[in-house]
Amino acid sequence: MHKVFRLFSSTALALLLSFAVQAATPTLVIYTYDSFTSEWGPGPLVKAAFEAQCACNLELVGLEDGVSMLNRLKLEGSNSRADLLLGIDTSLTAEARASGLFAPHRLTMKKSSLPEPWQDDLFLPYDYGYFAFVYNKERLGSPPSSLRQLVEDEQGPSILVQDPRTSTPGLGLLLWVKKVFGDESDQAWARLSKRIVTVSKGWSEAYGLFLKGEADMVLSYTTSPAYHLIAEQDARFAAARFSEGHYQQIEVAGMVRSSQQQQLARDFLEFMLSDNFQSIIPTTNWMYPATLARSELPAGFEQLIEPSPALLLDEQLVASKRKAWVEDWLEVMSQ
Amino acid sequence: MSGLNSRAIAAGLVLAVLALIVLAPMAGLLNLSGIPGYEPGDLRFWQSAYIRRVLFFSFWQALLSTLCSVLPAILVARAFALLPDFPLRGLLLRLFALPLVVPAVVAVMGVVSVYGSGGWIPLGRSLYGLNGILLAHVFFNLPLAVRLLLPQWQTIPQHHWQLGEQLGMNAWQRWRFLEWPAVREALPGVLLLVFMLCLTSFAVVLTLGGGPKSTTLEVAIYQSLRFDFDPAQAVVLALLQLSICTLVAILTLKLQRLPEVEITLTSDLKPVTIRQNSLNIMLILVAGVFVGMPLLSMLIDAFAGPLWQVIGNTTLWQSIGNTLFIGLSAAVFSVGAGWFLLQYSASLSLTGKTGKARLLDLAGSIVYVVPPLVIGSGMFVLLSPHVDVFAWVYPIVITINALMGLPFVIRSLGPALRQNHARYHYLCQSLSLQGWNRFRYLEWPLLRRPLGLAAALATALAMGDLGVIALFGTPHTATLPLLIYQQLGAYMIPQATVTALLLLLLSLTVFWGLERVIGGKADA
Repeated sequence: MHKVFRLFSSTALALLLSFAVQAATPTLVIYTYDSFTSEWGPGPLVKAAFEAQCACNLELVGLEDGVSMLNRLKLEGSNSRADLLLGIDTSLTAEARASGLFAPHRLTMKKSSLPEPWQDDLFLPYDYGYFAFVYNKERLGSPPSSLRQLVEDEQGPSILVQDPRTSTPGLGLLLWVKKVFGDESDQAWARLSKRIVTVSKGWSEAYGLFLKGEADMVLSYTTSPAYHLIAEQDARFAAARFSEGHYQQIEVAGMVRSSQQQQLARDFLEFMLSDNFQSIIPTTNWMYPATLARSELPAGFEQLIEPSPALLLDEQLVASKRKAWVEDWLEVMSQ
Repeated sequence: MSGLNSRAIAAGLVLAVLALIVLAPMAGLLNLSGIPGYEPGDLRFWQSAYIRRVLFFSFWQALLSTLCSVLPAILVARAFALLPDFPLRGLLLRLFALPLVVPAVVAVMGVVSVYGSGGWIPLGRSLYGLNGILLAHVFFNLPLAVRLLLPQWQTIPQHHWQLGEQLGMNAWQRWRFLEWPAVREALPGVLLLVFMLCLTSFAVVLTLGGGPKSTTLEVAIYQSLRFDFDPAQAVVLALLQLSICTLVAILTLKLQRLPEVEITLTSDLKPVTIRQNSLNIMLILVAGVFVGMPLLSMLIDAFAGPLWQVIGNTTLWQSIGNTLFIGLSAAVFSVGAGWFLLQYSASLSLTGKTGKARLLDLAGSIVYVVPPLVIGSGMFVLLSPHVDVFAWVYPIVITINALMGLPFVIRSLGPALRQNHARYHYLCQSLSLQGWNRFRYLEWPLLRRPLGLAAALATALAMGDLGVIALFGTPHTATLPLLIYQQLGAYMIPQATVTALLLLLLSLTVFWGLERVIGGKADA
């Protein structure tokens, strides 16, 4: 009996102590996407760097993508353990804003490498990129020089794209075509569809098929060739520069309104904009950091194409039209 | 308490738990009025032209895929059954369990390596469309159907074969009078299982299907829950999918005739070897090449990849541990639940209530078509106000995977358990052999082989799971499929092929181990 009691009391003591320790070091929970938290993503470096300065634990929860994070937050509502969401992009910010689940960050971006100045009271950008068609220079000698040429040239290259219903780049292309072709988007898709080898569920499938040689070009990012160049010392890949400009994806983070760690979350956002965090991004997330100038990027990035102009549709417009546009797309593509 | 009653109670409990796991999350999703910015869409949307088209396509591709997988599988299983001494038979049959564990995206790559424009049998652009979908589905399901049908030949008593020989039956007559009745017992269940697997196929159909023409209901569910964030729509579509499957189930089960079980004590059920073998050898070789090619291409890719870099990584080993833990735990629950359901269903069919028995099997199988995304999201709604969901990731993932594995257990264990029950139940009663003793002295020795197959299939399925684990997100270490997915998402395609190979080797080992440890020495 004594033994049992002693065991019980020591367990209770241990529990109390662990609670005390937890109370002393707060934990900041961030919902982000899987490839951010993976070993070779920015996650581990970001965690180490932030924990070194915050006297806290940083818990990164990897979900499928931006859509999953936002949906998860909506499902959990005010019970969510998330203090921050990191990794939703500009085609989702309007929906996130409308959910009312985010708190103002009250910070200003002192430095920015974004094409347009950033104005948003809820979300702050940490990186960005441009959608582009990537090709193998040994296979495709002269890529199209504009989106219009890609669409209209019936002898043009075969392409792999992603489904806008299930994939961020897929939605990006839909918006890109909308921005360039406007009311004639349906006709553009009808012409393009003859050279689309397949429409994949996600980026990984399409890119994997492209590397297997299933098509001449794949919808990806202007920064994709940097991975092959820097991580694999392979200079065969390039992104085609289109004269109409390239659609932009800006990835942002925002503080959750119900969080008990508002100050810590704000500290993280500040850290996110610092050189410390920003310098991790290029070779782990393979995107452009939001505040570093081109000259501050690792060697290899200077070989990438520089899209101009940067295209972006208004977030409210995207939020209100997205569903109808996808339905139109489905109609055209199911012919 | 009589045996029948305790069986009924155990099965009833299992059913109640199944219903709770499937229905409670759906109810949770339907009751989401509190979510900011959420307005449920028009629930009549499922009558729209889009959904009608999707329904038609899902059904059509699933039907074709099922027929293309299961009909050849009957011939191949027969060839395996009639050639018990075929060299490498055991290895081939274990290889046949592998497609089950391959995550869809990896299988797509394997199929493309073989039939893509740079592949061994280049089909060019014509791969993308129904061709690609069928090839991938047959690759997944033909071997599974072979594994599930093969044991039926072992239920044909040896003296039947001898009698056939004495009567001078030719191959067709032997098939018609000896083999078909045995196959017919398991066939409807196998057809239904493969149909469900093809109906809910997602990444394969979308990617190899060539475009949004090839949209399955599962895609529409994913779309309404994720993209449109309309949980109510998702639930309605999930129920629609459930109803289609129930209808198909009722139709296929009409085909079923449960053969009279003979009271025989023959333990050696090996059929006499048939002399005309060349056709059967051809069949095995063709099937082996068909299933082997995508696997071989993965092997070749992996050996060209950064093998040591991936193996030397410590988190890889944690992922292997996680994968094993999830796979084996899910299998324990799957096999346990399946066992109790099947026991009751066997005693029902012994007392002539075959209708009820089938209904019970059906209830255990049909849960497969409720998308994990719907169950998982619903569980979030229900659990997050009360518990720390992160602490519950493993239990939830294991539960949903166990649910998904249940139909495999029912298919692989069901026929043998029913026969065994019919043969020995009255003997057991007269000997007062029940409970643990009955299991220990009667059921274990006679059922350990199908039990081994059931456990191996359920484990493999859960080990290959990506849908559930990706949904919940792990704060700590990934499983192997998740690791593959992360690598693919980070340009690390060579690394991903190595990880995929390791997943295959791990499954092969587990399959071999479980069939050996549980199933005993003899080969399948």
